[in-house]
Amino acid sequence: MNYHAYHSLDVVNGEGTRCTLFVSGCEHKCKGCYNASTWSLMNGHPFTRALEDQIIRDLSDTRIKRQGLSLSGGDPLHPANLTAVLQLVQRVRAECPGKDIWCWTGYKLASLTEQQQHVVQYIDVLIDGKFIEAQKQPNLAWRGSSNQQIHYLSQTERALA
Amino acid sequence: MQSVIKRDGQKVEFNLHRIETAVSRAMDSVANADAALLTHLCTEIEIKLSKKPALDIQEIQRTVEETLIEHQLTDVARAYISYRKSRDIERERRSSLNEEIKSLLMQSNDDLLNENANKDANVIPTQRDLLAGIVARHYAKAHILSEQIVTAHESGAIHYHDLDYAPFFPMFNCMLVDLKGMLCNGFKMGNAEIASPKSIMTATNVTAQIIAQVASHIYGGTTIDRIDEVLEPYVTLSYEKHLAMAGQWNIPDQEGYAHAQIERECYDAFQALEYEVNTLHTSNGQTPFVTFGFGLGKSWQAKLIQQSILNVRIDGLGKNKKTAVFPKLVFAIKKGINQQPEDPNYDIKQLALECASQRMYPDILNYDQVVEKTGSFKTPMGCRSFLGKYEHEGTELHAGRNNLGVVSLNLPRIALQANGNVELFFEQLQQQLLICKEALMSRIERLQKVKAKIAPILYMEGACGVRLKAEDNISELFKNGRASISLGYIGIHETINALFGDDAHLFDDPQRQQVAVEIVKTLKAAVDLWTQQTGYGFSLYSTPSENLCTRFCKIDQKEFGSIKGVTDKGYYTNSFHLDVEKKVNPYDKIDFEQPYPAIASGGFICYGEYPNMRHNLKALEDIWDYSYNRVPYYGTNTPIDECYSCGYQGEFDCTSKGFSCPSCGNKENDKMSVTRRVCGYLGSPNARPFNAGKQEEVIRRVKHLENS
Ligand code: SF4
Ligand SMILES: [Zn+2]
Repeated sequence: MNYHAYHSLDVVNGEGTRCTLFVSGCEHKCKGCYNASTWSLMNGHPFTRALEDQIIRDLSDTRIKRQGLSLSGGDPLHPANLTAVLQLVQRVRAECPGKDIWCWTGYKLASLTEQQQHVVQYIDVLIDGKFIEAQKQPNLAWRGSSNQQIHYLSQTERALA
Repeated sequence: MQSVIKRDGQKVEFNLHRIETAVSRAMDSVANADAALLTHLCTEIEIKLSKKPALDIQEIQRTVEETLIEHQLTDVARAYISYRKSRDIERERRSSLNEEIKSLLMQSNDDLLNENANKDANVIPTQRDLLAGIVARHYAKAHILSEQIVTAHESGAIHYHDLDYAPFFPMFNCMLVDLKGMLCNGFKMGNAEIASPKSIMTATNVTAQIIAQVASHIYGGTTIDRIDEVLEPYVTLSYEKHLAMAGQWNIPDQEGYAHAQIERECYDAFQALEYEVNTLHTSNGQTPFVTFGFGLGKSWQAKLIQQSILNVRIDGLGKNKKTAVFPKLVFAIKKGINQQPEDPNYDIKQLALECASQRMYPDILNYDQVVEKTGSFKTPMGCRSFLGKYEHEGTELHAGRNNLGVVSLNLPRIALQANGNVELFFEQLQQQLLICKEALMSRIERLQKVKAKIAPILYMEGACGVRLKAEDNISELFKNGRASISLGYIGIHETINALFGDDAHLFDDPQRQQVAVEIVKTLKAAVDLWTQQTGYGFSLYSTPSENLCTRFCKIDQKEFGSIKGVTDKGYYTNSFHLDVEKKVNPYDKIDFEQPYPAIASGGFICYGEYPNMRHNLKALEDIWDYSYNRVPYYGTNTPIDECYSCGYQGEFDCTSKGFSCPSCGNKENDKMSVTRRVCGYLGSPNARPFNAGKQEEVIRRVKHLENS
């Protein structure tokens, strides 16, 4: 998998203070996409074990407390990204207890493939749906257009929502 | 008879008498009066001059000097030259006075007009104030301050703040108003006797009147410390009134009724107060710099006041629900009261977070840090001036105390003069500190022998916490640390670059940081020494410098040229603050700035630049919590601009020409609300432009958490 950018400290992609990974690769090609350069799987930099370790370390930082990890892109649920993303979310679950995982995808929750669902079971909050420029709303929380939905999937997140 | 060409090109008749006066004065001043010699000299000069075809002033002066020296009257010659020089300076000042007045009249001096983001220089009262300021400044320089101080000020070595007010007027800077004393005991204002209020509505009303009066008599900020606790008795009075009313009308749920009524009244009272403060125009021609400190009150009444202040601010001003820029709100956070989820007023902290995310204020005061770093808890005066600890009859006293003014030191200039030599820098710093002390003493001096009647509201009616008689002397009030008087400083960042070059950044280099701290400690040692020597409360203040960041830099640029990382940007960085262009996360920025408030305990604030946080109060709380054990006073800058054309909320693009909406391109100033922090206070730069240096600084600010 390639990734577009990694922010070790982020406050604009999901609740609380977070680490955010923007992966490469998206087949939705929405009109008005904020960053078309993330569409190609070949763009960006290779997602390495070292970066994975770095993410785990950042999430475990005791000085600057992170609420969790955000996966965005591109599309983290692009078929070509699933193996790497699965490994990452599994590690987060195992090594970073108490941290939540948010994920943005252009696919709809209701029509995910089995492999995608396999990844999503590790995810607490899923924001789904393509970006539709006609439904763009500038002041929405965590979404670009009003068709997109926030799904609080895990128990804890549902309680908070 | 010969004619002489004057400096301005005018021709006048030659007048020997003038020369005679000047030479005679010079002879007197070196105790060498000799009438015969004087006549002789003048005749000789006259003969010499009569042989010259054309005369101008320089020619005459040269001839006089030559003649004196030929007669071996070196002392007299020297005295003559220095007399002439001071006449030159005097003349120059007079013509610059005229220039300034003219530029005010023609509205042609942007620096003068945009000097203070808080003054609307288009209107008559402000213009009158600016005119008074021009005259006061010139008079003080010519007749009150020593030549050494004036030279230091004009050359940009120091800045004698607020010269347009003091020392011409015996005014001081900023204060904590003893609102409690005034409201409890009543006071007189003009012809009106004001009794202690009987309701919260009247109490806030009277508070607005007091603020207006006080702010007209001082030139800095007017702060009400712990306003929630000060005003809580009046909430009780109102509540009791509503309860009595409910009884009178046999309302079934009497307490429920009274609570509903008081909630409404309290909100209305603080909304009225906010309106008042924002529409006030003091006789200083500006909206007063008002600050409310609150948050520590635990009673339901105090809590209701806290909620009212925050809700009023969140709701916005007027039809467009614009962000109010006054009063500055400062919210105190304390473990056991509101810091932790289990604390009784934790909900108020949440409301404060919401307010900060939408309206930028409140800034926060971390209780334990304030006590640790400044000796006691209190709200800053104005935007960042902190009083030290002071006890009166065994108890801590804050209300009614004040700051006598500031003189700031241009640190980068000393570094430029030292040319990279650190030892020389510290040596010259000591020299400059002597001038600063003299300048500060001149402020104290000016307040000696001043009588209370000069400002009845302050000294006779209780704002300063005392009720002196008209003829009483006020100077005792300022002694023994009751008042503070502050040494300020500018540009640690540029100073370090001037000393070490800009190939490494202060932020990344612990060794440079050590020197930076060392410099500030040196300043602190100086003010401590002065306190010991004089008994006055000298403190070290981290100057915000709305205009100063430009003034110092401009002067130094002229003298030393454009030096990379020092004079090339057109502004100097505030005090100890991190360079606005350095991209670091707000946590690391707090760590970087953490050592300074303890040293510069007379004035400081730390900020972080944030993206839009409306949807992420948790993340905002994370950073507040992080600051809680590290810095006393913290502010979060977030984009809260609004476009009335397209509805966009966020950050407008800022250019040297002004502001524009990133979503629809709207550039019309009256169709937008743009709010930026300038040196501790918020301003609306679309309505009243910043000066050029500040605008440049605002353009260069980087977000400490922008991820795109
Ligand atoms: S799903 Fe997101 S990344 Fe993909 S095209 Fe749409 S907006 Fe761009
Ligand atoms: Zn717009």
